[in-house]
Amino acid sequence: MRTTLVSCLPLLAVIGLPLFAQRPVGGLTESAFKDQPYQKPQNCLPCHQRQFDEMRTSVKSGYRSVSPLFNGLETSGNFLNGGLLRPVYADSTKTTTDATGKVIPFNTNMFTTRDYVNVNQVRAGFCFSCHNGPIERNGDNPAAREVPELAGTGPNFVPELFRPLRDYHFVDASGNQVLPATIGGDPPPGATPSIGANAIHCDICHNIGGADLSRSLQADGIGNNSVLFNHTVEKVGPFLQPVAVKGDFHVASNNPEKIAFLRSSAFCNACHDVRVPTALPGDLQHFENDVNAGGQNVTYYRLENLSTEWQLGAYNSTNNPFGKVIRCQDCHMSNFPYGGNSTYTVGDLNITSPTPAQFFTNYAAVPGGVSTEQNFPLQQRKVVNHHFTGVDVPLLYTSELQARVDPTYPDAYQPGVDEYGIPLALAQRRQDLLDAAVRISLAKTDTTAKLGQIFTVRAECVALTGHRFPAGFSQERTGYIQLSVTDDNGFLLYQSGYVVDKPHPETGELQPDGNLSDEDNEHIHAVVDPGNHNRDPTKPYPNGSTANAGHTNQVFEAGPDDGSDARLFFGFNEGLVLFRNELTRIALPGQGIGRTDASGKAIVVTKPHYEETFSAALANTVDNFRSLQPLVPHTYSYDITLPTQAELAELGITSIKAPLHVHAQINYEHFPPLFVRFLIRTTGPNGPSGHDLGLLSEQRLDDLLKSLPALATADTTVNVQE
Amino acid sequence: MTKQVSRIAFLPLFVVGALAQSSPPAPLVTPSSTYVPGVTFQTTNPNYFMPNPFYFEGRVDWNLLKITQPANPWDYMQRGLHEQDELGDTAGAIADYQMAVSMNNLANNTCQLVTVVPTGPINPPPCIFTVRLRLAGLLRDSDPTQAISLYQDVLNIDPLHLGVNAAIGEVYTTMAEAATDPATAQNLYQQAITAYQAELALSPVTPLQTQVTGDTANNAHVHWSLAEIYAKLGQSANEMSELNLYLQATKWHSDTYVWHIQLAKKRLAAADRARRSTH
Repeated sequence: MRTTLVSCLPLLAVIGLPLFAQRPVGGLTESAFKDQPYQKPQNCLPCHQRQFDEMRTSVKSGYRSVSPLFNGLETSGNFLNGGLLRPVYADSTKTTTDATGKVIPFNTNMFTTRDYVNVNQVRAGFCFSCHNGPIERNGDNPAAREVPELAGTGPNFVPELFRPLRDYHFVDASGNQVLPATIGGDPPPGATPSIGANAIHCDICHNIGGADLSRSLQADGIGNNSVLFNHTVEKVGPFLQPVAVKGDFHVASNNPEKIAFLRSSAFCNACHDVRVPTALPGDLQHFENDVNAGGQNVTYYRLENLSTEWQLGAYNSTNNPFGKVIRCQDCHMSNFPYGGNSTYTVGDLNITSPTPAQFFTNYAAVPGGVSTEQNFPLQQRKVVNHHFTGVDVPLLYTSELQARVDPTYPDAYQPGVDEYGIPLALAQRRQDLLDAAVRISLAKTDTTAKLGQIFTVRAECVALTGHRFPAGFSQERTGYIQLSVTDDNGFLLYQSGYVVDKPHPETGELQPDGNLSDEDNEHIHAVVDPGNHNRDPTKPYPNGSTANAGHTNQVFEAGPDDGSDARLFFGFNEGLVLFRNELTRIALPGQGIGRTDASGKAIVVTKPHYEETFSAALANTVDNFRSLQPLVPHTYSYDITLPTQAELAELGITSIKAPLHVHAQINYEHFPPLFVRFLIRTTGPNGPSGHDLGLLSEQRLDDLLKSLPALATADTTVNVQE
Repeated sequence: MTKQVSRIAFLPLFVVGALAQSSPPAPLVTPSSTYVPGVTFQTTNPNYFMPNPFYFEGRVDWNLLKITQPANPWDYMQRGLHEQDELGDTAGAIADYQMAVSMNNLANNTCQLVTVVPTGPINPPPCIFTVRLRLAGLLRDSDPTQAISLYQDVLNIDPLHLGVNAAIGEVYTTMAEAATDPATAQNLYQQAITAYQAELALSPVTPLQTQVTGDTANNAHVHWSLAEIYAKLGQSANEMSELNLYLQATKWHSDTYVWHIQLAKKRLAAADRARRSTH
């Protein structure tokens, strides 16, 4: 070993010098080890087969970079603001201003900026910086750059030339970047995925150096990928005193601070709050800015708020049913929810649910001389799994994942279980995880009802999560109560949380298709403007004859099950109980809302007007409290009026038959179909680019967007007095 | 042991490489020695909102606010929301909502209607609509006139706010049903009709809407309510028109009271039979 290294020293030193000289300055931590380019996960596979196999079934790895929804969302944001979400790099000639108004070079992005002084530094590479931060940092070296800087942004933006991020994640046999022949087209023949195609993979997480306080807007290492990353052979694992790695492919870190960080929720928290840069004055209902020096003009609103929810929640304490801190890893990297159950009480609800923080015993690397120097024997110990099961399943067909990420990419619906009995299928694990997330009870419902009068159904719900339910992109992730009241003959007296099979002409579905997973709840009816490409290219983007950048609501009206606003604002006990946070656009005096009145005249508000928006880029405030708080039961009432005897007679019914049957269930959908349809249209041929970017379609939505009914259910009966 | 050898062997290389740099990169930030994963967190409560300039028009879980004693209208509103929604304490909620309204009121210049684009905090602050909607909802039975006044205040704050006109229509309808004088009832019903029609005007069914959704009507519940009023006023043609619109509005959206759809069809059929028998 010593001989090998010593003999390599001159060569490594020669190689190392230019590497050091080119080292980009942003986002690096100090590591006393030699530089090493980020490795594809396949390079980790020989020694960490189990972890590789587990990771490949998650959406975090690979799918996250090529996801049509992620790419569509990033694209739509750029269409609205003129490409400001694309990264700039060290060689950029653009400029911006600091808090004092001084013009400064604009050549660092969200990931490589050391101290933010302008909101555009956070915008630059905003999405890419979390999904592929270290790869973005590599882009400061033009030879290693995957996603180019846009030549024209803002008024100079050219949407017709705009490519989705995933177009840039291909290389040829020589490792040189190749692009699809057409914008948004199929993978180039013979191309293989680039390192960036792998998104969050082994070499991202295991290169961590610690919290990056200056890039976290509250100086606490939470949110927006505020992590320091190594770029070296030092790989951080969960164990102190690790053994030497065969062939010195890497060095297993023995740094206790880095190891402790990797094992903590703080590591996950660094990305799982997302704070969206918003120009002054920022969030119109909640002023927050970068508290670091010079950051006073860097304002934002909170999109993903998951880490803050955990940080201030019961799981980050011993005051929870398990009597100890429950980390992110304890549910998302353990054998949860397959490690046995616990029974406990929350409020007046008796709960039986899976126990977190149960881990299998195994080797951390392949034993038998495969992974250790000098065949040093490995010991078995408690290990994490790398399933990272969450609330998503891919909106890509398996063949597409295999073409864009890895030829062995597994089917999210594959049969079978692993050596521990855990389903191989991501879809099944998602179902099981969500089944463990929430409970409902109808025990407090009125026991008696009368014809022609109101009786009250009370649905008590509790989330059993370490964050709110739903969490993450919680303004689109959707949980809701489906409730029905029938008489003993099956006569439907009331329903809420129902969906109706209907046409969707805006995306080409002209007749109902029999699929209910592509239908929205009936609390509102909304259609989002995708924008268009009918612009005058000689004028600043997006101006033109009838051009607009979209994102406003073309249709927005209350539906018959309008419970979310009726309950929150009006205090009425009626309609849909919706566990979904809300992006809001406050239209200010003089601004249009994107619709016309009955005479066809554009509506321009004279007073501030609040309206839900389905565009994170258009939102200027947010309500993150509509989701269900963890471990705090909440009761939702439904005041339901039974028909009168006269109304029954009109219907030809003598009387309703007792007892009434009340059924409630909590359903889940990972994205509202109307949100997906917005992205279908804005990335389609009639959107701002003028051509189909190959991301989303009604067919894809129908095939792959799968709602999950009945995560939890409850039933009760009600007597009837005539 | 092997590990130690390996690291020691690398040290000279690192030193050589580091010295070779003309300007060694500094770390972005030197992690504070006091940084503790999972403990280090922002010093302010992120769940307590600083208006900018608008108050947060929603409900924050009371236990997250850490308010010991309400100090401003928003605090009182939040406590009222907690009392109404979690504790079922209607009286307490009304008292706190009234306190909030008194502290955020045009009459005493403690709030303002925003008519120009604000660039930051404004004084007095904007008027809050949620507390007025909530208070109106709790006063509908006991003081319907006050409830309508509060709803109209909300329309002054945001004339486009959906559901407010319909709520006014509901209160007028309830008042009409309770009226003993037919003329008074007729007048109240007419005011209810006006309010419901104002609601419909906020979300007209435009040709674009029909193109992208296939819908030819919307606001099913408003049409149902109007039909019921017209039935009470004996205006059969208007009633049938509204029932037709109700059926159009529910064609692709059904209804919470799905039996209303069957009832509408029965009533339209009965009216049609009556019309045929007359002619």
